[in-house]
Amino acid sequence: MQVNLNVRRYDPVSNGDGSRQTYSVEVEEQSTVLDALIQVRDEQDATLSFRGSCRTGFCGDCTMRVNGKAKWACRMPVSKAQVDGEITLDPPRLVKEVKDLIYDQEEFLFDKYAATKPWIEPSPPGSAEEHIVSQEKIKELQEASSCTLCGMCDEGCTVLVIDKTFLGPAALTRAFKPVADPRDKVIERRLSELSEKRGMWDCVHCFEATEHCPKGIDPTDRILSLRDEAIKRGIGTPRVVRHNDSFAKSIKSSGWLDEARLAIESEGLTNIGGLMHLVPTAAKAMAHRKAPLPYLHKKRPGAKHIKRIFETWEKGSK
Amino acid sequence: MGERQQMRYAFYPGCVAKGGCPELYPAAIKVAEKLGIELFEMKDVGCTGAGVLSREVSDPINARTLAKAEAMGLPIMTICSTCQGCLMQANHRLVTDPEYRDRINREYLAEEGLEYRGTTDVKHFLWVLDEDYGLDKLQEMVVNPLEELNVAAFYGCYLRRPPEVVVPKGKESRKVSLENAIKALGGNVVATKGKGKCCGFPILYPNERNSLEMCGTHTLEAKDKGADAMVTPCPLCHLELDGTQSRAAQHKGKKIDLPVLHLPQLVGLALGFSPKEMEMQRHLVSTSPVEEKAKRKAGV
Repeated sequence: MQVNLNVRRYDPVSNGDGSRQTYSVEVEEQSTVLDALIQVRDEQDATLSFRGSCRTGFCGDCTMRVNGKAKWACRMPVSKAQVDGEITLDPPRLVKEVKDLIYDQEEFLFDKYAATKPWIEPSPPGSAEEHIVSQEKIKELQEASSCTLCGMCDEGCTVLVIDKTFLGPAALTRAFKPVADPRDKVIERRLSELSEKRGMWDCVHCFEATEHCPKGIDPTDRILSLRDEAIKRGIGTPRVVRHNDSFAKSIKSSGWLDEARLAIESEGLTNIGGLMHLVPTAAKAMAHRKAPLPYLHKKRPGAKHIKRIFETWEKGSK
Repeated sequence: MGERQQMRYAFYPGCVAKGGCPELYPAAIKVAEKLGIELFEMKDVGCTGAGVLSREVSDPINARTLAKAEAMGLPIMTICSTCQGCLMQANHRLVTDPEYRDRINREYLAEEGLEYRGTTDVKHFLWVLDEDYGLDKLQEMVVNPLEELNVAAFYGCYLRRPPEVVVPKGKESRKVSLENAIKALGGNVVATKGKGKCCGFPILYPNERNSLEMCGTHTLEAKDKGADAMVTPCPLCHLELDGTQSRAAQHKGKKIDLPVLHLPQLVGLALGFSPKEMEMQRHLVSTSPVEEKAKRKAGV
């Protein structure tokens, strides 16, 4: 079949304007977009640059935008991708372009990955301690480590679009592995570091990353698991800890959320500046009879059972 | 269309519909009554955790809610995308992993004499309208078609994702149910890129700047594309899109002033309720442009 590949060309030396070029190519019915690109490079233009390693849907090296949506080019059949015989190809969003469809993986993925210190730190060298890991645990860890850092989750991330400094779902997903590994002995340090600015608490848990992950790893679930671990240990930025504690206290004592109390306690009872920051919105909400009064919160009829659930959980987590 | 099923639900209103968005609860009750949807409110159940509590404690709380609905023999109806998502995700874990369910039953529910067997269905009001009530029937009930109103849909993350939980096979209409509801009410849909994105509410405390950026981006996009209003099935999105809109406007350096309606309010206007009956005066962003357009059509 005949298809036109409309490719974003970018050469920092000779052609920095990012113009587009169309290649017309005759491909087999079963060809993938990556096959078509390779054919163009081999037959028409040896300067066309793109990444593509395993060609079998394993490594995730060929992440690019196909008709505006991030895909693995090796998993995308030309027949499915083409619209009236045309396919538009661009590098992923948010990346620093290097040449054509090649982007800077260091900046987009690897630097953030390295920042999470993703290696296991067991007991000190020379220790005779034996590290036993159950089969069940190994299965869980294997699922997380099947991430190949293809960048699809970061490409779809709602937060990275507006804040490139956010650690992002790819790095956080990989950071989950040593935290979940029973051999690691520095979990609390890890959770504290992952709580720092632009870390796991900046995630909006929108599940875009989960929707985008081609490996079914569920990055959002990994981030929530990191947060669950941190909540259990009372770890986070001071603001996050105050917010989580207040939320839990409110549910534990009454069964449901005291929103006004949450707003006040998240700022901190002694944080005058923070509390003043709430005043304009609170005043406006009160004028519209929209703001519930803090601490005058009635218990739900089933509150004692909710409290018991909390206590059972707290006892089990110790 | 075949025989319409009986419209009876265990009603889970959630915290915000009675707290920060007190206009939502009465609007939903009035609209349900008008449509003949029978609601049995669950009063002795806990908060879903809203993605803030550890799932280790919110799963047992949600299992308790699901078990209570199971004992009532009714599906749950929610009016909040976040409640819907948290209950549904917990339900997914409890249904697909019987060992996990057994442990939760044993350790947390047994003491109260409760057991969750994994049979409760959880549906947002939007899906109740689309899948159980029928948008065709809803259209028949409209006495005040919102023909002059250009409305942008804003779903809330948890009515969109994760897809294997929210949009199982055969339920694909959920991806466009909000737009279809707007059309059934006579309104004009304003298509936006942001309709399924995060509103920014979950990071309002940890990162206000990013949160306001999201709120500003979505409301400005809708405004720029000609929306008179935005409609959302999620009161947490409402707290963000309505409640922080003036701060988002400051952050963006642009005027926004886009009214944001709860889904039951939009339905209510089309069913002939007045804006006051839908308690729209409680919103922080004035809804008067919407009221004007909705009124004019009704000839009030």
